[in-house]
Amino acid sequence: MSTQGGGSAGNVGMYVGRDMLAAVPEERRDDYLQLVQEISDLKYQLGVEVARQLPRLFEEQDDEAIERYLDQVRAIADVGWKSGVEVAKQLPDLYHAPDPTIADSYVEIVTEATVGPPDDDETRAFAGELEDLERELREIEPKQQRAAELKSLLAARDRRDERRRKHAQELAAALPPILARLRPKHRDCYMREVRLVAAADPEAALEAANTLLDLLNGERVSHDGAAEWTRRGLDVLEKNKEVGRGYFRMGSKYSLEVLEELREGLALRQVARVLKLYATALSGRDVAVRGVDEMEAVDRFGPDHIILPADMRFFDDDDRNFVAYKVAAAHGAARIEFGTYRFSLDEIPETVADLDARYGMGTR
Amino acid sequence: MALAHVRNVRQESGVDGDVAERLVKVAEKVRNLRTHGLEEGVSTRLLVYAGQMIEGGVEPVAACEATICRPITDDLEMQRSILELVNTQF
Repeated sequence: MSTQGGGSAGNVGMYVGRDMLAAVPEERRDDYLQLVQEISDLKYQLGVEVARQLPRLFEEQDDEAIERYLDQVRAIADVGWKSGVEVAKQLPDLYHAPDPTIADSYVEIVTEATVGPPDDDETRAFAGELEDLERELREIEPKQQRAAELKSLLAARDRRDERRRKHAQELAAALPPILARLRPKHRDCYMREVRLVAAADPEAALEAANTLLDLLNGERVSHDGAAEWTRRGLDVLEKNKEVGRGYFRMGSKYSLEVLEELREGLALRQVARVLKLYATALSGRDVAVRGVDEMEAVDRFGPDHIILPADMRFFDDDDRNFVAYKVAAAHGAARIEFGTYRFSLDEIPETVADLDARYGMGTR
Repeated sequence: MALAHVRNVRQESGVDGDVAERLVKVAEKVRNLRTHGLEEGVSTRLLVYAGQMIEGGVEPVAACEATICRPITDDLEMQRSILELVNTQF
């Protein structure tokens, strides 16, 4: 530890003044600073007072007195640093008292006064009880926090359940008129998908009920497509209710993208009337256009039916898919116009007779 | 096909015989739709208008859409059906 020029090193410099250091014999300054540092490590205020008093003792060059002084300061500091500061201030004067025992007696009095009488049973009991209570309080604190969290959580769930019941009621009112508009063939698919959404979120189910009606009745998706569209919407709903409701309202870009991805070509139902009018105009006969899914309901080779695929997905765009439908419809119209399906085995003898009459012998 | 009809359209509009025949064919096909909500067929006057527009440089399908499809019905699907007939002819 350097002491050159009356300076100081480390924290000691904060309470060792130039004049204090100058009062210490030069060859003892390192010792002085080291001792002050040791005492100040116990308590800063103690270090300040010791730094003030030690130069006197160093001046007297009585190492025994210095050691005694520091021991007594440390001892009193153990029981109370404030008393220690006062003792550190007074002790050097007492060392010069006529009675050499007076300093020791002084330290004992102050020590006993600081420490006080030993604890009685009642005090120890109080302390023990207090310690137990404080431990219990420390243990109960996390439980109180958890209880508050649970209260908040349950209150939020109550509010959510209330909203859920309200939207379930709205769904109950909205579904019957929607079901009345739903084509019977879509009923199973529709009920299954709406039920899935309703179980997750009745508010989203209100949106899904309308959207699925349009998608299925408009033949914009197949039943598998509707299931996939619903499944992806439920994934969105699980992550974010509001975004999920937007999805089922067809109000999100993602919803439209999924629908576009699932769309299965041009549905015959969308263009059936145009094709019927077109074929009727071409053939001059009142034709009916039917999908292959309705084949059971019609005479497939009847004279006035054109059977076409339920959806046309030969091309990527609807315009060209419509042209494909148109070609098929024109072909069907031509068969009707020129009597392909009017052929009957019963007419064969008559036909042979006609051909024989027209072209002569040899026709068989 | 009524040749007189074709001749009238050709003479009144100035289109050649092939275009006049196609126009008359459209009119004949549209006539098949009378029982499907079309109250009136395509008159010769409308065909002449179409021919005049074609003769004036308008693309035939566009001319027929303006003079035949739209004037005779408000039914969009009917209009589209007639337009598809026009597309088939031209």
